[in-house]
Amino acid sequence: MTAAAEAPVRPAPARTSRLGPPLSFLRLLRIELRRSAMPWLLPLIAALFWFDSYRPSTGQPPLYVLRTFWNMGQGHTIIDFGPFVAGLAAWIGSRDGRRRTADLVTATARPRWTAQLATWAGTAIWAVAGYLVCTSVMFAVYASQGVQGQPPWWWVAVGATAVAAFSAAGFAVGVFWPSRFAAPLAAFGGFLALIMSSQTGFHDSTGWALILPTNSNGNFQPDSGLLYPWLPDLPIARIMLLAGIAIAALGLIGLRARICGPWTLWLAAAVTAAGVAAAGTAVGLASTARLSADGIVIPALHDAASDRPFSYTPRCGQAAGVPVCLSPSYGRWLPEVTAALGPVFSEVAGLPGAPVRATQVGAVYSSGEGGDGQSMTIGGQPRVLSLSLGNLSLPVGTATVFADQLRLLAVHAFVGAGNGIGTPAQQAVQAALLQAAGVPFAAQPQLLTTNGLPSWAQAASNGPPGPATGPVYAAARRLAVLSPGARHAWLAAHLTALRSGQLTLGLAPTTANPAPKQARR
Amino acid sequence: MTAADTREPLPGAGPAPQPQRRAVAALRLPWLYLVSRRVPVALGLLAGLAVLLWSALYWHWGISGGRAAQQFISLTIETAAAAVIAVTTYGPFGEPERATGRWLPYLRLGAAAALTAIAYGGLAAAAAGGPLPGGTLALLRNLAGITGIGLLSAAALGGAFGWTGPLAYLLVTEVALTGNPTTPWVWPARPPHDLGGALCAALLFAAGTAAVTLLGARDSGRHSAPE
Repeated sequence: MTAAAEAPVRPAPARTSRLGPPLSFLRLLRIELRRSAMPWLLPLIAALFWFDSYRPSTGQPPLYVLRTFWNMGQGHTIIDFGPFVAGLAAWIGSRDGRRRTADLVTATARPRWTAQLATWAGTAIWAVAGYLVCTSVMFAVYASQGVQGQPPWWWVAVGATAVAAFSAAGFAVGVFWPSRFAAPLAAFGGFLALIMSSQTGFHDSTGWALILPTNSNGNFQPDSGLLYPWLPDLPIARIMLLAGIAIAALGLIGLRARICGPWTLWLAAAVTAAGVAAAGTAVGLASTARLSADGIVIPALHDAASDRPFSYTPRCGQAAGVPVCLSPSYGRWLPEVTAALGPVFSEVAGLPGAPVRATQVGAVYSSGEGGDGQSMTIGGQPRVLSLSLGNLSLPVGTATVFADQLRLLAVHAFVGAGNGIGTPAQQAVQAALLQAAGVPFAAQPQLLTTNGLPSWAQAASNGPPGPATGPVYAAARRLAVLSPGARHAWLAAHLTALRSGQLTLGLAPTTANPAPKQARR
Repeated sequence: MTAADTREPLPGAGPAPQPQRRAVAALRLPWLYLVSRRVPVALGLLAGLAVLLWSALYWHWGISGGRAAQQFISLTIETAAAAVIAVTTYGPFGEPERATGRWLPYLRLGAAAALTAIAYGGLAAAAAGGPLPGGTLALLRNLAGITGIGLLSAAALGGAFGWTGPLAYLLVTEVALTGNPTTPWVWPARPPHDLGGALCAALLFAAGTAAVTLLGARDSGRHSAPE
């Protein structure tokens, strides 16, 4: 036996090489994570996040859907992170080009594309981690403030993907144009793209424009996460778009590093094509989107289980003896709601069609009609007032506007005006009942212009608020000066004609003769 | 041999420098400085931004919202121009240049002032494309103030990161414009003839120019920028 035969068997080289690439990539990634400039920029971004995304949201009522509409729905968290991340990624991506070391590092053992992917991954990991930390801290603060509802986790995922996409796009800019100006070009280009996306989003409420990451049309419904789940359809499409952009940008980098060999070229081309295909598919999916009561629905991505409303035990109170029940998420406003509706219910108690119960339903917002779908309705047997609160000016401090809006909508439903402005007689009775319920005539024109009311209110106000004059208010004043008993009797006699739209304004009661005969037909 | 003899040109030496050659030699240093700061590329970018502003005004690009929101695209372009100016302060030579270049402060001052003037001229010319919100007076105030922020950022963070200050100011302004800011430090929200806003912008421009003139960008010889 020779010494050679007794030598220990060495590990198979093939096995070592199979384990090699991932380990070397991880080592590269660790080095890039340690030397990345991104952590130095994160405190500045965090400060801007606080100023731009968190601070403005604190003026909203404590509901997740309202608190996060500014920072997630309108994409301000992406605006805070995206341009900075793109700029710094461009600076990092241009490193080898600026230092004239591209040829040197190309000759190393690992493919150039792999090393660049490690550099990008180090940048993206820091950026996405920073985004998630800022968002988590914001949600933790919200939770400590008692904010109600489900956090919009899908939109957090959209933001994180957007940050990764900005980092990839910025990195590609730096690789292709290794200049000191690559960073500001990527940063301001990204910022301009985002604000132009907002502009397009404001104008286009349907079609492909819904895919734009700062388009807020229909993505946040007033009661998302409160009465029904957040619909994931549009977030999934946006994630597809943003991931596709990121993949395509990284693939383009591989196409440039073709010195690595033909297989790398083909792989990079396939990756680029996959990214473009994902982005194109997302745009195509978004063009099939439609607005439903729960949010934007994309048929190919929609899961019917997402339409199921939450089951809950309502919180109930009494308004002039009428039970009023709200979702627990809105429970903090139950005293304001009962106090607001009490005078209205007292005024109409015992009249035909007067509600014997009030219960909350989901609100709907569309960019074209505002809160058109959220008008209160009275229906069923016994009569139930369905009230939606999501679009109204929920009180943070003073509750005056909120209470007046509730009274207006309840009275509007009672007189049978539906989703329209109502006949002049219906408007007159509505004004008189509001006056009796505690909303003076002088305040009513201003009330019709407040935010959150359906489109008929804007039509009724017909421009900026003016004095409460004209034939409608004259007739309303004649009805309002009647004694409560006389007004009740007049309403009992005329409600059917009033709701059918057959009561004319000229036949409104006078103080001297509030006779039921005044109603024709 | 006397000392006077040493003043005579040596046999075979070149002719005495002519005024024209002296002028060329005098321009050589500024030219080298401008090239080292990539000023020609910056001029190209400023021209591109002017074309972008002209396009935005000509085709009425705008942001939905109030009067303040309408000026946001032009403000973004002005801020990008300021960022480009700030990034030109990045110098690749560091300590050797600082130790030997006694004209360096003058070159820094001249380059920053000249680029700001050129950027203003280009953007003001682009305003011919349509009505510029606030007019050229507001353009001058905005550009000068945000350039000052960019130069201060370059002095504090490094020339390569001079763009971060203007971008941060733009984000702060974006939020402030949605309300009714009363502080003159958010000068884009103020009328063009507002004295407080103009003073704040001028103060920042003066501070930024002074910082870059006297200290230079942070990475030009004092500390290396992170990668």
